[in-house]
Amino acid sequence: MSLTKLDSIKESALAAFKAAPGTKELYDLKVQYLGKSGSLTEIMKEMASLPKEEKPLFGKKVNEVKQVLEAAYTEAEESLKKSEISAKMAAEELDMTLPGFVRNKGSQHPVHMVIDEIFGIMSRIGYSVRTGPVIEKDYYNFEALNIPADHPARDMQDTFFIDKTHVLRTHTSPIQIHSLETEELPLRVIGTGPVFRCDSDISHLPNFHQIEALCVDEKISMADLKGTISFFVREYFGPGLKTRFRPSFFPFTEPSAEVDCSCPICKGKGCSLCKQSGWIEIGGCGLVNPKVFQSAKIEYPKYQGFAFGFGVERMAIIKYGIEDIRLFPENDVRFLRQFIK
Amino acid sequence: MKISLKWLQDYVDVKEFFTKPEELAEALTRAGLEVEEITNLAKDFNHVVVGHILEKDKHPNADKLSLCRVSTGDVVHQIVCGAQNHKAGDNVIVALPGAVLPGNFAIKKSAVRGVDSAGMLCSLKELGLAKESDGIEILPKEAPVGKPYAEYAGYDDITFELKVTPNRADCLSHFGLAREVATLTGKELKAPESAPKTSTQSTKSAIALDVKAFDLCPRYTGRFIKGVKVGPSPAWLKKRIESVGLNSINNIVDVTNYVMMELGQPLHAFDANFIGGKKIVVDRAVAGESFITLDGTEIKLTGEELTIRDASHPVCLAGVVGGKNSGVSEATADIFLESAYFIPMSARKTSRSHGIDTDSAYRFSRGVDPDGALRGLNRATALILEVAGGEAFGDPHDFYPNPVKKNPVTISVQTVSDRLGYEALEDKFVDFMKRLGCQVTAVSGSGATYSILPPTFRFDLEQDMDLVEEYARLNGYEHIPETLPTFAKAPSNHDKVFMLNRSTSDVVRAEGYQQAFNFAFVGSKAEKAFTGNISTLKAAGFAISEKEIRIMNPLNEEMDVMRSTLSFGLFKNLNTNFHYGNMMGRLFEIGSTFSVKEDGAYGESAHLGFALWGKNDNLWNKSLHYPIVFELKATVEALLKTLNISSYTWVTPAAGASEVPAFMHQGQYAQLLVEGKKVGFIGTLHPVLLDDNKIRVPAAIGEFDLDQLYKGQPRPYRIQSVSKFPVVERDFAFVMPKTLKVGDVLKDIRKAASGLLLNVDVFDSYEGDKMEAGKKSVAIRLWLQDKNGTLQENQINEVTTKVLESLKKNFDLSVR
Repeated sequence: MSLTKLDSIKESALAAFKAAPGTKELYDLKVQYLGKSGSLTEIMKEMASLPKEEKPLFGKKVNEVKQVLEAAYTEAEESLKKSEISAKMAAEELDMTLPGFVRNKGSQHPVHMVIDEIFGIMSRIGYSVRTGPVIEKDYYNFEALNIPADHPARDMQDTFFIDKTHVLRTHTSPIQIHSLETEELPLRVIGTGPVFRCDSDISHLPNFHQIEALCVDEKISMADLKGTISFFVREYFGPGLKTRFRPSFFPFTEPSAEVDCSCPICKGKGCSLCKQSGWIEIGGCGLVNPKVFQSAKIEYPKYQGFAFGFGVERMAIIKYGIEDIRLFPENDVRFLRQFIK
Repeated sequence: MKISLKWLQDYVDVKEFFTKPEELAEALTRAGLEVEEITNLAKDFNHVVVGHILEKDKHPNADKLSLCRVSTGDVVHQIVCGAQNHKAGDNVIVALPGAVLPGNFAIKKSAVRGVDSAGMLCSLKELGLAKESDGIEILPKEAPVGKPYAEYAGYDDITFELKVTPNRADCLSHFGLAREVATLTGKELKAPESAPKTSTQSTKSAIALDVKAFDLCPRYTGRFIKGVKVGPSPAWLKKRIESVGLNSINNIVDVTNYVMMELGQPLHAFDANFIGGKKIVVDRAVAGESFITLDGTEIKLTGEELTIRDASHPVCLAGVVGGKNSGVSEATADIFLESAYFIPMSARKTSRSHGIDTDSAYRFSRGVDPDGALRGLNRATALILEVAGGEAFGDPHDFYPNPVKKNPVTISVQTVSDRLGYEALEDKFVDFMKRLGCQVTAVSGSGATYSILPPTFRFDLEQDMDLVEEYARLNGYEHIPETLPTFAKAPSNHDKVFMLNRSTSDVVRAEGYQQAFNFAFVGSKAEKAFTGNISTLKAAGFAISEKEIRIMNPLNEEMDVMRSTLSFGLFKNLNTNFHYGNMMGRLFEIGSTFSVKEDGAYGESAHLGFALWGKNDNLWNKSLHYPIVFELKATVEALLKTLNISSYTWVTPAAGASEVPAFMHQGQYAQLLVEGKKVGFIGTLHPVLLDDNKIRVPAAIGEFDLDQLYKGQPRPYRIQSVSKFPVVERDFAFVMPKTLKVGDVLKDIRKAASGLLLNVDVFDSYEGDKMEAGKKSVAIRLWLQDKNGTLQENQINEVTTKVLESLKKNFDLSVR
């Protein structure tokens, strides 16, 4: 009698578990059959009325049914959970072609990007960065750099004057003099910052930037200068580029040279950037003129040195293909946002 | 400087380069004389020839046109012409089919009003040789019919635009450049003929000379020429003068210019009859006297200028410009010709201080060969006799009491090797020095060491390094090898502010800002109008001076003073951007601002400025609603955190304290106080300023003095260990008067809660319809944690009670 009843409980429970539409309903069924006051618990109570010899068998049977039902429950639960999570994800489907949430991304001004990169390259070979005042004494901007008053070399740099003895520095070279006057030798420094010339047209800004390097030691040659610039050019523009020197004149260097590098765009084949020449002019350089050492009270020929300098905007123009120099001070965010690193 | 290859050919053989001028240009550029442009005039006149009009008839279908039969030697062409000034028998310039005239005007066979025309009769204007023309150009009878016009007219020349650096004044003439070409190529140099026929009459008796300022005029030569006929120059002279870009004036002036362009020696011709007292005096000007230049400009002299004077007044600013009172005119019969050497600095000073730039001043200020003065005088005399006749008096003046001597330079070949980084060869060195015109003497006893005496025309050769450069240049810079110097020393520290600026820039960029760069000068009026009373900026902690730093020679009034703030430039950037259609942007700038210090010195301080406009959110996700000045505030606090500055407060100036700058919103402005000192401000832009500029999005500005923020940097900091025990949150809402600053409430909570408080923040602030007037509701969350164990309920209650009691006591606040 009771065994029959047990069987029917088992059958109906198995069928009910199978038919349960969701995990919540399934759990209710579990309570109904296997809970504290569930059918199986109830039928165990009937065991008391059974003859003694039938009791062990019945107990065993109930336990078997209990195990079967628990297994069936676990199976049903797993299957329901699976389908429920699938349904949930289906309902949560997103249109992944919608635009992402954009946050304004910061960027470096191209001028500072160039300075930063050159700073990194020169740091590797032992150069330390220096700055200096923008309103500079005439002495540091000119006299100490072998550009005396009423010398035609002054015509090379159209100068903004603040008063009789102060100018807006026309180049970063005064930084060299400050270093030579105050620091111990040997010396490896780079000077950088804004410079000023009263010249404003399609290819000149009255306020632009320079970066220059100075190396002073007991044995320094033009070959050292060329090797250092070549290292720099390959680091900055890419491997395989060549460096070329052309004689030139700067009052503070002797010998002096203009530096060209093979065009980083066409690798020397000729393009519009290099005007088909295969070469790009990037800056000026030379060995420190002994007259500069004399101004800075440095012993020559015991010490010699070299210096080279670049226009920062020009480097940016070459590297990033900027076509209009007026973009630099305009600060249009559509231009600035393109300089992401 | 313009160089004519044909002219150059007179002194050195450059014939081979006429077909390949690029090669000569390359050689010069490699030697430091950069050729910036090559102009080939012949190329421009292909298919343009001299023609002869055989017949001229009326065009059958047009009254104003003529129909010509024009011979170009072996062929006769039928050409329709619109000009009126020609007749049968004239020689003319014919552009035949195939010619391309200036302006890319191609000549083709065509029909004009039904009649075939095979070419064009040209005016000088159509050939680009004159600005205006009256009809077509009629050539002289003797013009060779059929000859290419370029060849006939001398337009078969090639010109170089040569960039001569200030150290190479010796190359500012055709002979000078020929000398350089000869040095570079080893070719022979031919000097021009310069011995004039002179009479037995004495120049010295005709015109006396007294050089008083011999410190500024080491050499002065002069000659009297009687009875010249002033008039137009002959064609060859005119052409030469014009080929290098000068205008032909008259035969006398043209000769002086010719000799300047030939030998580099500027000369001046005076009308001798206007030299009062028949005496030339070379002396400084009398301070305050006036002088009228050749072109009629009157200038006041300071007394520092070197002048050429007659017995009573100045007749010429020495080496710079002649006087109107003594210039050569059509009426001139007798001239006094001057060829001198003036000290470069003196000529430059006069030229610069009076703003007079002439070819003569340009050369004197760079250095004219003192040894060449007499040669120039003689060459010019010979040419004047040739083109203007007259009688050249003998016995010229040549005042040269102390001939200019170059100092010999002692140099060893080893020094050349050391400086260049490759082995210099002794033979080569000696050869190079000789080719440069130096006297080379071996210094005995010291092996491969020489005493080098450079020629007087090389002003730039003064020291050993100058000779090192000459060796490198003549040997070719391409032979310099590449090595890296060793460095037996630890690198020194980088500039501190530079490095701190880099890290500031990193922080601000990570917060989403674009870096801007503005000029360091601004328009004084515009900046003043923007900033208003600068005491407001002083109140924000800036070193700013009432006296601005003016530029003496500004480009324009938009750039006439050094900026005293970054805010003005950034506001302009914001305005420009918005009107370009950039509805949102975040800009920052790190740069110097300028002020006059109390002791009168110029001060530069590093500043950090911000400009923000538009909401920083997505088009389709407009969930963020906050005044954007709070975004700026968070950015600044991120920077303070990086700088490890924890002791700071934001201060709102008291109402009526007039501390809010004119461009800022009176109610949305705060100054930053770091360790008791004001270091900058943030604020929303003034609504009227936004409205005036039609800026239709919210916008904020901030500016800080970095020098002050960087005080004590880098500040050491230690990392706190992280507690694993649970954090408990407690929320409270308070109704408080609008005037009560939440910052003060938070400060009070921090003080009261002390040890267990991890953090406190505002999560809602409401003012509106549902609130009583003058009140706001502020919801505050406390995070509590015991770092040594799990918080117990009684601990939590103890803290919150302390907090609430304190708020009640200090602000009369109760939980809502």
